[in-house]
Amino acid sequence: MPVSQSAEEHLKLDGISVSFGAVNVIPSLDLSVCKGEMVALLGPSGCGKTTTLRMIAGLISPSSGRILVGGRNITRLPIHDRDMGMVFQSYALFPHMDVLRNVQFGLQMRNVSKQDIEQRSKEALELVQLGQLAQRKPKELSGGQQQRVALARALVIQPSILLLDEPLSNLDAKLRDEMRLQIRALQQQSGITAVFVTHDQVEALSMCDRVVVMRNGRIEQFGTPTEIYERPATAFVANFVGRTNRLKGTVGSDGRLSAAGQPLRATAKLLPGPVDVLVRPHRIALKPSNGLAAAGDGNVVEGTMSGIIFIGDLVQYIVRAGGAEIVVEEATRRERPSLGVGDKVQLTWSPDDTLVYPDDDK
Amino acid sequence: MEIHKTSWPMRVLVFALFLYLLAPVILVFPISFSGDQVLRFPPTFWSTRWYAALFQNTKMLNAFWTSVVLAAVVTALSIAIAVPAAWAMTRLKFAGKDVLFNLFTAPLLLPTIVLGLAILIVFASFGLLATMQGLVFAHLVVTLPYALRVLAVALSTQDQACEEAARTLGAKPLTVFFRVTLPMLMPGIVAAAALCFLVSFDEVVITLFLTGPRISTLPVELYNYVYNQADPLVAAASVLMILLTLGIIMIVERAMGLGKTFVK
Repeated sequence: MPVSQSAEEHLKLDGISVSFGAVNVIPSLDLSVCKGEMVALLGPSGCGKTTTLRMIAGLISPSSGRILVGGRNITRLPIHDRDMGMVFQSYALFPHMDVLRNVQFGLQMRNVSKQDIEQRSKEALELVQLGQLAQRKPKELSGGQQQRVALARALVIQPSILLLDEPLSNLDAKLRDEMRLQIRALQQQSGITAVFVTHDQVEALSMCDRVVVMRNGRIEQFGTPTEIYERPATAFVANFVGRTNRLKGTVGSDGRLSAAGQPLRATAKLLPGPVDVLVRPHRIALKPSNGLAAAGDGNVVEGTMSGIIFIGDLVQYIVRAGGAEIVVEEATRRERPSLGVGDKVQLTWSPDDTLVYPDDDK
Repeated sequence: MEIHKTSWPMRVLVFALFLYLLAPVILVFPISFSGDQVLRFPPTFWSTRWYAALFQNTKMLNAFWTSVVLAAVVTALSIAIAVPAAWAMTRLKFAGKDVLFNLFTAPLLLPTIVLGLAILIVFASFGLLATMQGLVFAHLVVTLPYALRVLAVALSTQDQACEEAARTLGAKPLTVFFRVTLPMLMPGIVAAAALCFLVSFDEVVITLFLTGPRISTLPVELYNYVYNQADPLVAAASVLMILLTLGIIMIVERAMGLGKTFVK
């Protein structure tokens, strides 16, 4: 659900920097999250995404900069006054309390009346479908159930912001898919602003309204999942989000692009010099080579099949072309084309799918 | 604890080692039921006369109660001091923390006879010899390092995310401590308390310097008794001490599981 441009800004990080000792983990970060929006902080480990989240919660103090929630400066506010609901990677359920008392803890800290505590904690447990397990201790629950208790505990206090720190990383694949939908549904139902830390691009793209891709404490790109995927701002983003083929290429002084020993076309403006050419594997069409140059203004590359990997939903063809290896992905069908290793093949893709970035040798 | 398949020679070896270690303790049981006038094994005939004699020996009974009260007070004080100290050691950041921790746990490494002499010299000038307060202070020197070490390990292995979660849910630091940190520390506290109680109840070397006709503990009284006469009364007393120790260990085991509390 895209958020309209007029949406009200709810959380703002303004020139935030964080240092641990002499290490400058986050040099300078600006971020603005709208009310009711779910934003993912996506990046490899050590990119500063968890640090950013913990800073919003108050568990880490920034060296400089301001954190604003609803226009109010909370940078120096102690953790217990921040009104954040946080779900931890380890769930951090209180082992000595049963499920119900875990959920009630936050309400008890807030001088809510006994009657309201009973009612709201019951509702929260119903919301995550754990009403019947209220008397269990956390260690008697499965990982998915613990996760839902953690979620109920964070949501029941109706926090101004929901913070999720890699909440799905300890679950198995199937449960993860289920919880993804459930967390998103809960977040939309309650209309709560949420910040979601993950290193998994599928979680970020499928659950969130907007995605922040981070690297080395900096924001590489901030945009909707479609923007991030279709128009990655940097080669890093293109590589990190989704699979890509990365070809070394050059742009000549005449503005012509070539890679893998062939001239290519791209829609983006090109500056002369060495470049990285990125193409998503499933945007490439593959057919047996007929020895003829294809018509139209698509990119055409001739090559030799060097490997076929059957993954299940997908089949990956590995093609050698002009000294480079290009991976092509197709959805599997019952009738597969009779292509074998060693066959001559022809690859075609559109200039729109040809992403070109200045050479980023990292 | 994990149970591995052990080969037969290994089992025999382990059995022999345990037998060697426990033989003196096991021998005490039959000797305590001896009807003889002197300590000897095997006894020539059986009776419970030495248990009867023990329960009529007021000196022994007084010493036993002194030991129990002393151990209880020392245990309570050790926990009351070591919990906040261990918390500060594991949760706060301050300069010289490691030095301080090593200093506090140093008495574990000192020969107890040296400690005993030092305590004797210092306590004599304060009039603390042969007093309950003196014994409490002296035993604290020995039990505190144990308590501090056990609790510091327990606190540092605790999932600190639980404390963070409590803070984000609105709990102030003191509330976090009493509602999350302390309850989660309970197995560690029970283990530390059991250890302190047993160490204090068992302590002889330092206590020898500080006891006298006015006040004495059970181990010291037993020592004095054997010094003068060698009858099986001490065996009967030893059996009761072994049973008390076993009882405490079993309570800990029942409450938390021995493996969890002592072996980390």
